[in-house]
Amino acid sequence: MTTGRRRDLALHLLDRQIIDTDGDAVGNVDDVEISEEGYVTALLVGPQALAPRLGGLLGQWLAFLSEGISRSSTAEPTRIGIDLVTDYGSAITVARSRAELGAHRNEDRARDYFIGRIPGADHARD
Amino acid sequence: MKKVLQVFLGVLTAIGGFVDIGDLVANALVGSRFGMSLAWVVAVGVIGICLFAEMSGRVAAVTGRGTFDLVRERLGPRAGLLNLVASMAVTFLTLAAEIGGVALAFELVSSVNYLLFVPLVAFLVWIVIWRMPFASMERMFGIAGLALLVFAVAVWQLGPDWGGLAHQATHPVVPDGEGHPTYWYYAIALFGAAMTPYEVFFFSSGAVEEKWTKKDLVIERVNVYIGFPLGGLLSLAIAVATFIVLFPEGVEVSRLDQVALPVVLGAGKVGFAFLIVGFVAATFGAALETALSSGYCIAQYLGWSWGKHLEPRKASRFHLVVLMSIIAGSMLVMTTLDPIKVTEYSIVFSAVALPLTYFPILVVANDSGYMGESVNSRFTNGLATVYLVLLTVVALTAIPLMLATKAGQ
Repeated sequence: MTTGRRRDLALHLLDRQIIDTDGDAVGNVDDVEISEEGYVTALLVGPQALAPRLGGLLGQWLAFLSEGISRSSTAEPTRIGIDLVTDYGSAITVARSRAELGAHRNEDRARDYFIGRIPGADHARD
Repeated sequence: MKKVLQVFLGVLTAIGGFVDIGDLVANALVGSRFGMSLAWVVAVGVIGICLFAEMSGRVAAVTGRGTFDLVRERLGPRAGLLNLVASMAVTFLTLAAEIGGVALAFELVSSVNYLLFVPLVAFLVWIVIWRMPFASMERMFGIAGLALLVFAVAVWQLGPDWGGLAHQATHPVVPDGEGHPTYWYYAIALFGAAMTPYEVFFFSSGAVEEKWTKKDLVIERVNVYIGFPLGGLLSLAIAVATFIVLFPEGVEVSRLDQVALPVVLGAGKVGFAFLIVGFVAATFGAALETALSSGYCIAQYLGWSWGKHLEPRKASRFHLVVLMSIIAGSMLVMTTLDPIKVTEYSIVFSAVALPLTYFPILVVANDSGYMGESVNSRFTNGLATVYLVLLTVVALTAIPLMLATKAGQ
């Protein structure tokens, strides 16, 4: 999948769940990047990508919130090149782990500051 | 043999898990004020929850996606968010009511004010979610909830006029002294109690947690089609019990000890012990389900990793949301808002919020691109359409009726 995908696919891709090679959740397709020729070139993940799509006060609020959490006003959404996508099913599978994609900054913060500090956080219980 | 046992346990869990504080309060209240004249609503509600839970469980088993994942995908981020906020608000109210309910049951046996138990209950809810495996958690509280069958025993011991009850249930009339708007307001409350949205979030996310696939669909259907109707019968037994004992005295249920009275009269001290065990199990189990559901909904909407099957480190944001909802829910109870009153409002708001998640699930259950051969049958779609209309009418009339009747006074 080296060539970009056509624009009408964009509608199909938006808001889908993305999972990585290990089956872990990476995020939702919060927006897509479209080239001048009208091809989808990348999936964008993160509140920074979602905020403009929500629009209005709600979008501004989300952008404000995510800036506050990431402590930076220049944080970019995670960009996943369309050539990394290996499967379009009920979820979109990408050929990288979520750590490699860097789509995980807020999850890492929640773990480092709160959840990871509680005893038993590394036990799976199913 | 193992399969039979699994199905059997699943059904028992579904029966015990069906009843929560909403069903208890609504049925007791309706029984004491309207007798059997609203029994038909329980039947309508049970068919509705069977339909809704079966569809969402099937969708989850086939696609591996939880409810809010699909809600956002189908409705887009804006409408999806509105939906999320409404569903979360109702689920949060229910969580607070369940935590309060467990504390009230502790007050009933200890005579110590329930507010003192709230922090303890909140901690227990959290620790069970944190440590106990999903399947054992579900089974333990579901099966212990079967102790509520003591209501059926009490009814049988009290020896009611069965023919009269049946006649009242099949020929419903508004009792003297009650207005039509109040009757319909309580019809909606009872309906909302039977069809609470969190049950569906929990059921479908649970299917993903337990890694259900197409092969598990038979078990899923048996659980739903047998377990839920029996759970509905159990909740009717509560209405019958309060009807026999409290209706003739003109007592309107507003406290938990009034709900216990028919059991004590019919089944004595042992019955009371069973009642407490069943009540704690049912409300505690539902507190777990609602707390988890808040995490499921938000995580699915935002595409986070979620679930008890992961180690908490791998689903940190999910666990953070669950923990915060438990804290916030117990803080709401600590404001001394009456948990019974909170329950009454939460079941009516449940009825209002239902179409928001029902509609997207119905759409996905018909999408053959997702569901393959497991799409809705014609029969299911026919029934589902009738319910879509019904749910919309109920959602639109609930708030006006609430205002007109001053919340059923």
